[in-house]
Amino acid sequence: MRAAAVIGLVAGFGLLVQTTLFHALPFGFHPSPDVLVVVCVFLGLHRHTVGSALGAFALGYLQDAVSGSPIGLNAFGMVVVYVLVYLTCRRLWVDNLVSKVVLVFLASCVKAVSVLTVSALFGGFDGNWGPTLSSILINAALAAAIAPALFALLAGARVPEGRAAR
Amino acid sequence: MEFVRRNRILLTAGGLLLISLLLSSVSIRSQPYRDPIGQLLLDALAPFQVVFSWMGRGVGRVWSGYIDVVDARQDNQHLHEQVAALQGELLRLGELERENARLAELLAFRSRLQGVAYGAHVIARDPGPLAMTLTIDRGERDQVRRGMAVLAPQGVVGQIAEASHTAARVVLLTDHNSGIDAIVQRSRARGIVQGGMDGSCYMNYLNRDADVVAGDRVLTSGLDGIFPKGVLIGEVVDVSRRHRGLLQAAVVQPSVALDRLEEVLVVDATAQVVEPPA
Repeated sequence: MRAAAVIGLVAGFGLLVQTTLFHALPFGFHPSPDVLVVVCVFLGLHRHTVGSALGAFALGYLQDAVSGSPIGLNAFGMVVVYVLVYLTCRRLWVDNLVSKVVLVFLASCVKAVSVLTVSALFGGFDGNWGPTLSSILINAALAAAIAPALFALLAGARVPEGRAAR
Repeated sequence: MEFVRRNRILLTAGGLLLISLLLSSVSIRSQPYRDPIGQLLLDALAPFQVVFSWMGRGVGRVWSGYIDVVDARQDNQHLHEQVAALQGELLRLGELERENARLAELLAFRSRLQGVAYGAHVIARDPGPLAMTLTIDRGERDQVRRGMAVLAPQGVVGQIAEASHTAARVVLLTDHNSGIDAIVQRSRARGIVQGGMDGSCYMNYLNRDADVVAGDRVLTSGLDGIFPKGVLIGEVVDVSRRHRGLLQAAVVQPSVALDRLEEVLVVDATAQVVEPPA
Protein backbone atom coordinates (compact mmCIF):
# COMPACT_ATOMS: atom_id res chain seq x y z
CA MET A 1 0.00 0.00 0.00
CA ARG A 2 2.85 2.33 0.90
CA ALA A 3 4.58 1.39 -2.35
CA ALA A 4 1.47 2.21 -4.38
CA ALA A 5 1.15 5.56 -2.61
CA VAL A 6 4.80 6.45 -3.29
CA ILE A 7 4.52 5.44 -6.95
CA GLY A 8 1.23 7.31 -7.31
CA LEU A 9 2.64 10.47 -5.76
CA VAL A 10 5.80 10.41 -7.87
CA ALA A 11 3.77 9.68 -11.01
CA GLY A 12 1.28 12.47 -10.27
CA PHE A 13 4.02 14.94 -9.45
CA GLY A 14 6.00 13.91 -12.54
CA LEU A 15 2.97 14.27 -14.77
CA LEU A 16 2.27 17.78 -13.46
CA VAL A 17 5.91 18.81 -13.88
CA GLN A 18 5.99 17.28 -17.35
CA THR A 19 2.88 19.05 -18.55
CA THR A 20 3.42 22.46 -16.91
CA LEU A 21 6.82 23.31 -15.46
CA PHE A 22 9.02 22.12 -18.31
CA HIS A 23 6.99 24.09 -20.85
CA ALA A 24 7.35 27.32 -18.87
CA LEU A 25 11.15 27.18 -18.69
CA PRO A 26 12.72 29.89 -20.86
CA PHE A 27 15.52 27.87 -22.44
CA GLY A 28 14.60 28.75 -26.00
CA PHE A 29 13.11 25.26 -26.48
CA HIS A 30 10.61 23.20 -24.54
CA PRO A 31 12.12 19.99 -23.23
CA SER A 32 9.56 17.37 -22.37
CA PRO A 33 11.32 14.40 -20.83
CA ASP A 34 8.94 11.53 -20.25
CA VAL A 35 8.86 11.40 -16.46
CA LEU A 36 6.24 8.65 -16.42
CA VAL A 37 8.39 6.32 -18.50
CA VAL A 38 10.98 6.42 -15.69
CA VAL A 39 8.24 5.30 -13.27
CA CYS A 40 7.25 2.59 -15.76
CA VAL A 41 10.87 1.38 -15.97
CA PHE A 42 10.97 1.31 -12.18
CA LEU A 43 7.85 -0.89 -12.18
CA GLY A 44 9.38 -3.20 -14.76
CA LEU A 45 12.58 -3.46 -12.73
CA HIS A 46 11.27 -3.82 -9.22
CA ARG A 47 7.54 -4.65 -9.22
CA HIS A 48 6.78 -7.93 -10.98
CA THR A 49 3.06 -8.27 -10.34
CA VAL A 50 -0.14 -8.10 -12.35
CA GLY A 51 -0.89 -4.89 -10.49
CA SER A 52 2.29 -3.26 -11.77
CA ALA A 53 1.37 -4.20 -15.37
CA LEU A 54 -1.99 -2.54 -14.77
CA GLY A 55 -0.10 0.38 -13.21
CA ALA A 56 1.99 0.80 -16.36
CA PHE A 57 -1.20 0.84 -18.40
CA ALA A 58 -2.71 3.39 -16.02
CA LEU A 59 0.35 5.63 -16.34
CA GLY A 60 -0.04 5.66 -20.11
CA TYR A 61 -3.75 6.20 -19.86
CA LEU A 62 -3.20 9.11 -17.50
CA GLN A 63 -0.71 10.62 -19.93
CA ASP A 64 -3.19 10.24 -22.78
CA ALA A 65 -5.91 11.91 -20.75
CA VAL A 66 -3.74 14.87 -19.84
CA SER A 67 -1.76 15.31 -23.05
CA GLY A 68 -4.74 15.33 -25.40
CA SER A 69 -3.35 12.58 -27.60
CA PRO A 70 -5.72 9.79 -28.72
CA ILE A 71 -6.61 7.55 -25.82
CA GLY A 72 -4.64 4.30 -25.78
CA LEU A 73 -1.47 5.43 -27.57
CA ASN A 74 0.66 6.17 -24.52
CA ALA A 75 -1.03 3.30 -22.65
CA PHE A 76 0.20 0.97 -25.40
CA GLY A 77 3.69 2.45 -25.25
CA MET A 78 3.90 2.13 -21.48
CA VAL A 79 2.81 -1.51 -21.52
CA VAL A 80 5.40 -2.26 -24.23
CA VAL A 81 8.09 -0.61 -22.09
CA TYR A 82 6.97 -2.49 -19.00
CA VAL A 83 7.04 -5.85 -20.78
CA LEU A 84 10.46 -5.22 -22.34
CA VAL A 85 12.00 -4.07 -19.05
CA TYR A 86 10.39 -6.98 -17.22
CA LEU A 87 11.77 -9.49 -19.73
CA THR A 88 15.19 -7.77 -19.73
CA CYS A 89 15.65 -7.86 -15.98
CA ARG A 90 14.57 -11.47 -15.86
CA ARG A 91 17.59 -12.33 -18.03
CA LEU A 92 20.09 -9.56 -17.18
CA TRP A 93 21.26 -8.19 -13.86
CA VAL A 94 20.18 -4.57 -13.98
CA ASP A 95 20.79 -3.02 -10.60
CA ASN A 96 23.44 -0.35 -10.94
CA LEU A 97 22.71 3.27 -11.70
CA VAL A 98 24.46 3.44 -15.07
CA SER A 99 22.59 0.45 -16.49
CA LYS A 100 19.30 1.88 -15.19
CA VAL A 101 20.00 5.23 -16.84
CA VAL A 102 20.81 3.48 -20.13
CA LEU A 103 17.64 1.41 -19.74
CA VAL A 104 15.55 4.58 -19.24
CA PHE A 105 17.11 6.12 -22.36
CA LEU A 106 16.28 3.02 -24.43
CA ALA A 107 12.83 2.70 -22.86
CA SER A 108 11.99 6.30 -23.70
CA CYS A 109 13.05 5.71 -27.32
CA VAL A 110 11.09 2.43 -27.51
CA LYS A 111 7.98 4.02 -26.08
CA ALA A 112 8.09 6.97 -28.48
CA VAL A 113 8.68 4.69 -31.47
CA SER A 114 5.87 2.31 -30.48
CA VAL A 115 3.45 5.24 -29.95
CA LEU A 116 4.30 6.65 -33.35
CA THR A 117 4.08 3.25 -34.98
CA VAL A 118 0.57 2.65 -33.62
CA SER A 119 -0.36 6.18 -34.56
CA ALA A 120 0.92 5.60 -38.10
CA LEU A 121 -0.92 2.29 -38.23
CA PHE A 122 -4.23 4.02 -37.63
CA GLY A 123 -3.42 7.05 -39.77
CA GLY A 124 -2.62 9.50 -37.01
CA PHE A 125 1.03 10.08 -37.99
CA ASP A 126 2.26 11.19 -41.42
CA GLY A 127 5.51 9.21 -41.18
CA ASN A 128 7.90 12.20 -41.14
CA TRP A 129 10.51 10.53 -38.94
CA GLY A 130 13.41 12.98 -39.55
CA PRO A 131 12.62 15.84 -37.15
CA THR A 132 10.67 13.48 -34.87
CA LEU A 133 13.72 11.27 -34.34
CA SER A 134 15.93 14.09 -33.05
CA SER A 135 13.16 15.17 -30.69
CA ILE A 136 12.81 11.57 -29.44
CA LEU A 137 16.55 11.30 -28.77
CA ILE A 138 16.73 14.66 -26.95
CA ASN A 139 13.76 13.83 -24.73
CA ALA A 140 15.13 10.34 -24.08
CA ALA A 141 18.45 11.85 -23.01
CA LEU A 142 16.63 14.27 -20.69
CA ALA A 143 14.57 11.42 -19.23
CA ALA A 144 17.81 9.50 -18.62
CA ALA A 145 19.28 12.59 -16.95
CA ILE A 146 16.44 12.94 -14.45
CA ALA A 147 16.16 9.17 -13.89
CA PRO A 148 18.62 8.93 -10.94
CA ALA A 149 16.66 11.55 -8.98
CA LEU A 150 13.34 9.81 -9.67
CA PHE A 151 14.75 6.40 -8.79
CA ALA A 152 15.92 7.87 -5.49
CA LEU A 153 12.38 9.15 -4.83
CA LEU A 154 10.91 5.77 -5.75
CA ALA A 155 13.39 3.83 -3.60
CA GLY A 156 10.76 3.60 -0.86
CA ALA A 157 8.55 1.57 -3.19
CA ARG A 158 11.11 -1.13 -3.87
CA VAL A 159 10.34 -4.73 -2.89
CA PRO A 160 12.86 -5.95 -0.27
CA GLU A 161 15.48 -8.29 -1.78
CA GLY A 162 14.29 -11.30 0.24
CA ARG A 163 10.70 -11.05 -0.99
CA ALA A 164 11.79 -10.42 -4.55
CA ALA A 165 13.81 -13.64 -4.54
CA ARG A 166 10.73 -15.64 -3.58
CA MET B 1 -3.57 -23.53 -15.37
CA GLU B 2 0.04 -23.61 -14.29
CA PHE B 3 0.98 -21.87 -17.57
CA VAL B 4 -1.48 -19.09 -16.84
CA ARG B 5 -0.19 -18.72 -13.28
CA ARG B 6 3.47 -18.61 -14.37
CA ASN B 7 2.83 -16.19 -17.21
CA ARG B 8 0.10 -14.11 -15.64
CA ILE B 9 2.08 -10.85 -15.96
CA LEU B 10 2.83 -11.35 -19.63
CA LEU B 11 -0.75 -12.47 -20.32
CA THR B 12 -2.09 -9.42 -18.48
CA ALA B 13 0.30 -7.19 -20.44
CA GLY B 14 -0.82 -8.81 -23.68
CA GLY B 15 -4.43 -8.15 -22.80
CA LEU B 16 -3.61 -4.56 -21.93
CA LEU B 17 -1.79 -4.14 -25.25
CA LEU B 18 -4.86 -5.35 -27.09
CA ILE B 19 -7.10 -3.01 -25.13
CA SER B 20 -4.70 -0.13 -25.85
CA LEU B 21 -4.72 -0.90 -29.55
CA LEU B 22 -8.50 -1.06 -29.55
CA LEU B 23 -8.77 2.25 -27.71
CA SER B 24 -6.23 3.85 -30.04
CA SER B 25 -8.06 2.61 -33.09
CA VAL B 26 -11.35 3.99 -31.83
CA SER B 27 -10.00 7.33 -30.65
CA ILE B 28 -7.85 8.00 -33.74
CA ARG B 29 -10.50 7.03 -36.28
CA SER B 30 -13.38 8.78 -34.54
CA GLN B 31 -11.91 12.13 -33.54
CA PRO B 32 -14.89 13.42 -31.51
CA TYR B 33 -14.47 10.40 -29.23
CA ARG B 34 -15.01 11.47 -25.64
CA ASP B 35 -13.28 9.48 -22.98
CA PRO B 36 -15.24 9.80 -19.70
CA ILE B 37 -12.36 8.58 -17.52
CA GLY B 38 -9.95 10.90 -19.23
CA GLN B 39 -12.28 13.83 -18.65
CA LEU B 40 -12.54 12.98 -14.96
CA LEU B 41 -8.76 12.81 -14.69
CA LEU B 42 -8.44 16.09 -16.51
CA ASP B 43 -10.83 17.77 -14.10
CA ALA B 44 -9.01 16.31 -11.13
CA LEU B 45 -5.60 17.43 -12.34
CA ALA B 46 -6.64 20.89 -13.57
CA PRO B 47 -6.23 22.74 -10.21
CA PHE B 48 -2.78 21.23 -9.70
CA GLN B 49 -1.83 22.13 -13.25
CA VAL B 50 -2.84 25.73 -12.60
CA VAL B 51 -0.55 25.85 -9.56
CA PHE B 52 2.36 24.18 -11.37
CA SER B 53 1.94 26.44 -14.41
CA TRP B 54 2.04 29.47 -12.13
CA MET B 55 5.20 28.12 -10.50
CA GLY B 56 6.70 27.42 -13.91
CA ARG B 57 5.98 30.94 -15.09
CA GLY B 58 7.51 32.28 -11.88
CA VAL B 59 10.66 30.25 -12.44
CA GLY B 60 10.64 31.45 -16.03
CA ARG B 61 10.36 35.09 -14.98
CA VAL B 62 13.17 34.73 -12.42
CA TRP B 63 15.34 33.02 -15.02
CA SER B 64 14.56 35.65 -17.66
CA GLY B 65 15.31 38.40 -15.14
CA TYR B 66 18.62 36.78 -14.30
CA ILE B 67 19.51 36.44 -17.98
CA ASP B 68 18.51 40.08 -18.54
CA VAL B 69 20.75 41.19 -15.67
CA VAL B 70 23.65 39.13 -17.05
CA ASP B 71 23.05 40.57 -20.53
CA ALA B 72 22.80 44.11 -19.13
CA ARG B 73 26.06 43.62 -17.24
CA GLN B 74 27.79 42.35 -20.36
CA ASP B 75 26.35 45.23 -22.40
CA ASN B 76 27.46 47.69 -19.73
CA GLN B 77 31.00 46.31 -19.71
CA HIS B 78 31.09 46.30 -23.50
CA LEU B 79 29.88 49.92 -23.62
CA HIS B 80 32.44 50.97 -21.00
CA GLU B 81 35.20 49.42 -23.10
CA GLN B 82 33.80 51.11 -26.19
CA VAL B 83 33.65 54.51 -24.44
CA ALA B 84 37.24 54.12 -23.20
CA ALA B 85 38.42 53.17 -26.69
CA LEU B 86 36.55 56.10 -28.26
CA GLN B 87 37.91 58.52 -25.67
CA GLY B 88 41.43 57.30 -26.46
CA GLU B 89 40.74 57.70 -30.16
CA LEU B 90 39.33 61.19 -29.58
CA LEU B 91 42.43 62.15 -27.62
CA ARG B 92 44.68 60.80 -30.35
CA LEU B 93 42.75 62.65 -33.05
CA GLY B 94 42.85 65.88 -31.03
CA GLU B 95 46.61 65.52 -30.67
CA LEU B 96 46.98 64.82 -34.37
CA GLU B 97 44.86 67.86 -35.21
CA ARG B 98 46.94 70.12 -32.99
CA GLU B 99 50.20 68.69 -34.33
CA ASN B 100 48.92 69.18 -37.86
CA ALA B 101 48.12 72.83 -37.11
CA ARG B 102 51.56 73.39 -35.58
CA LEU B 103 53.34 71.73 -38.50
CA ALA B 104 51.26 73.73 -40.98
CA GLU B 105 52.31 76.91 -39.16
CA LEU B 106 55.94 75.77 -39.18
CA LEU B 107 55.72 75.04 -42.90
CA ALA B 108 54.23 78.47 -43.56
CA PHE B 109 57.09 80.00 -41.58
CA ARG B 110 59.61 77.86 -43.51
CA SER B 111 58.24 79.26 -46.77
CA ARG B 112 59.05 82.78 -45.52
CA LEU B 113 62.71 81.79 -45.07
CA GLN B 114 65.28 81.57 -47.80
CA GLY B 115 68.19 79.21 -47.19
CA VAL B 116 68.89 75.97 -45.39
CA ALA B 117 66.38 75.04 -42.68
CA TYR B 118 65.65 71.77 -40.91
CA GLY B 119 62.53 70.89 -38.96
CA ALA B 120 63.07 69.22 -35.59
CA HIS B 121 61.06 67.89 -32.66
CA VAL B 122 61.78 68.91 -29.10
CA ILE B 123 62.58 65.66 -27.27
CA ALA B 124 63.75 66.91 -23.85
CA ARG B 125 64.07 69.98 -21.64
CA ASP B 126 66.63 70.92 -19.06
CA PRO B 127 65.10 70.27 -15.68
CA GLY B 128 67.57 72.57 -13.82
CA PRO B 129 66.66 76.12 -12.79
CA LEU B 130 69.90 77.71 -13.95
CA ALA B 131 70.21 76.48 -17.54
CA MET B 132 67.44 77.24 -20.03
CA THR B 133 68.03 74.59 -22.65
CA LEU B 134 66.13 71.98 -24.60
CA THR B 135 67.12 69.02 -26.74
CA ILE B 136 66.02 68.41 -30.33
CA ASP B 137 66.05 65.21 -32.39
CA ARG B 138 68.46 66.50 -35.07
CA GLY B 139 72.26 66.31 -34.88
CA GLU B 140 75.37 66.35 -36.99
CA ARG B 141 73.95 63.49 -39.01
CA ASP B 142 71.31 65.98 -40.23
CA GLN B 143 73.83 68.81 -40.81
CA VAL B 144 72.94 70.51 -37.55
CA ARG B 145 76.01 72.21 -36.11
CA ARG B 146 76.96 74.30 -33.10
CA GLY B 147 75.98 77.96 -33.45
CA MET B 148 72.99 77.49 -35.79
CA ALA B 149 69.87 79.51 -35.03
CA VAL B 150 66.73 77.84 -33.79
CA LEU B 151 63.41 79.44 -34.70
CA ALA B 152 59.71 78.84 -34.30
CA PRO B 153 56.86 80.32 -36.36
CA GLN B 154 56.29 82.86 -33.55
CA GLY B 155 59.94 83.95 -33.44
CA VAL B 156 63.39 83.24 -32.03
CA VAL B 157 63.91 80.20 -29.78
CA GLY B 158 67.69 80.16 -29.24
CA GLN B 159 70.78 78.67 -30.77
CA ILE B 160 72.52 75.31 -30.96
CA ALA B 161 75.05 75.05 -28.14
CA GLU B 162 76.14 71.48 -28.74
CA ALA B 163 75.40 68.88 -31.41
CA SER B 164 75.89 65.13 -31.15
CA HIS B 165 75.41 62.66 -33.97
CA THR B 166 71.63 62.37 -33.58
CA ALA B 167 70.57 65.20 -31.26
CA ALA B 168 71.45 68.75 -30.34
CA ARG B 169 71.14 70.98 -27.29
CA VAL B 170 69.57 74.39 -27.78
CA VAL B 171 70.35 77.33 -25.50
CA LEU B 172 67.13 79.34 -25.22
CA LEU B 173 67.11 83.09 -25.58
CA THR B 174 66.09 83.31 -21.91
CA ASP B 175 69.30 81.57 -20.79
CA HIS B 176 71.83 83.87 -19.13
CA ASN B 177 74.51 82.67 -21.57
CA SER B 178 72.47 83.71 -24.58
CA GLY B 179 73.00 86.97 -26.50
CA ILE B 180 71.24 88.09 -29.66
CA ASP B 181 71.91 91.26 -31.60
CA ALA B 182 68.52 92.98 -31.86
CA ILE B 183 66.72 96.13 -32.97
CA VAL B 184 63.49 97.77 -31.92
CA GLN B 185 61.21 97.54 -34.94
CA ARG B 186 59.60 100.99 -34.54
CA SER B 187 62.64 103.17 -33.70
CA ARG B 188 65.42 100.91 -35.05
CA ALA B 189 67.24 101.32 -31.69
CA ARG B 190 69.89 98.63 -31.31
CA GLY B 191 70.83 96.46 -28.36
CA ILE B 192 71.63 92.92 -27.20
CA VAL B 193 68.84 90.62 -26.01
CA GLN B 194 70.14 88.49 -23.14
CA GLY B 195 68.66 86.06 -20.71
CA GLY B 196 68.63 86.80 -17.01
CA MET B 197 69.32 84.45 -14.11
CA ASP B 198 65.64 84.62 -13.26
CA GLY B 199 64.49 83.25 -16.63
CA SER B 200 63.49 86.66 -17.92
CA CYS B 201 64.80 88.31 -21.08
CA TYR B 202 66.39 91.78 -21.31
CA MET B 203 67.42 94.08 -24.11
CA ASN B 204 70.65 95.58 -22.85
CA TYR B 205 73.11 98.13 -24.20
CA LEU B 206 70.42 100.48 -25.48
CA ASN B 207 71.57 104.10 -25.76
CA ARG B 208 70.18 106.27 -23.01
CA ASP B 209 68.40 108.46 -25.56
CA ALA B 210 67.07 105.54 -27.63
CA ASP B 211 63.34 105.66 -28.22
CA VAL B 212 62.00 102.47 -26.56
CA VAL B 213 58.58 102.13 -24.97
CA ALA B 214 56.52 99.26 -23.69
CA GLY B 215 54.77 97.47 -26.54
CA ASP B 216 57.63 97.88 -29.01
CA ARG B 217 58.48 94.78 -31.00
CA VAL B 218 62.05 93.56 -30.90
CA LEU B 219 63.54 91.86 -33.97
CA THR B 220 66.86 90.21 -34.81
CA SER B 221 69.28 92.60 -36.49
CA GLY B 222 71.12 89.90 -38.43
CA LEU B 223 74.47 91.45 -37.49
CA ASP B 224 75.58 88.60 -35.21
CA GLY B 225 75.95 86.24 -38.16
CA ILE B 226 73.76 83.65 -36.45
CA PHE B 227 70.14 84.76 -36.71
CA PRO B 228 68.56 85.92 -39.95
CA LYS B 229 67.56 89.56 -39.93
CA GLY B 230 64.00 90.52 -39.10
CA VAL B 231 62.88 87.57 -36.97
CA LEU B 232 60.64 88.52 -34.05
CA ILE B 233 62.23 88.10 -30.64
CA GLY B 234 59.52 89.51 -28.43
CA GLU B 235 57.82 92.60 -27.11
CA VAL B 236 59.07 95.25 -24.70
CA VAL B 237 57.07 95.13 -21.49
CA ASP B 238 59.11 97.55 -19.36
CA VAL B 239 61.92 100.06 -19.78
CA SER B 240 64.33 100.99 -16.97
CA ARG B 241 66.31 104.23 -17.21
CA ARG B 242 68.96 104.81 -14.61
CA HIS B 243 69.65 108.33 -13.28
CA ARG B 244 73.22 108.13 -14.40
CA GLY B 245 75.12 106.34 -17.16
CA LEU B 246 74.97 106.16 -20.92
CA LEU B 247 72.72 103.11 -21.33
CA GLN B 248 69.25 101.87 -20.61
CA ALA B 249 67.66 98.38 -20.60
CA ALA B 250 64.25 96.98 -21.50
CA VAL B 251 62.47 93.90 -20.28
CA VAL B 252 61.41 91.79 -23.28
CA GLN B 253 58.64 89.20 -23.26
CA PRO B 254 59.66 86.43 -25.74
CA SER B 255 57.13 85.91 -28.53
CA VAL B 256 57.59 82.13 -28.37
CA ALA B 257 56.01 80.15 -25.54
CA LEU B 258 59.27 78.37 -24.79
CA ASP B 259 57.81 76.04 -22.18
CA ARG B 260 55.25 74.63 -24.63
CA LEU B 261 57.43 74.33 -27.70
CA GLU B 262 57.22 71.02 -29.61
CA GLU B 263 58.58 71.70 -33.12
CA VAL B 264 61.31 74.10 -34.24
CA LEU B 265 63.27 75.09 -37.35
CA VAL B 266 67.07 75.01 -37.32
CA VAL B 267 68.57 77.48 -39.80
CA ASP B 268 72.15 78.29 -40.75
CA ALA B 269 73.77 81.70 -41.07
CA THR B 270 72.91 82.03 -44.78
CA ALA B 271 69.16 81.95 -44.18
CA GLN B 272 67.19 85.12 -44.78
CA VAL B 273 63.67 86.17 -44.01
CA VAL B 274 61.93 86.89 -47.29
CA GLU B 275 58.88 88.40 -45.72
CA PRO B 276 59.48 90.14 -42.37
CA PRO B 277 56.76 90.00 -39.65
CA ALA B 278 53.92 92.45 -40.12
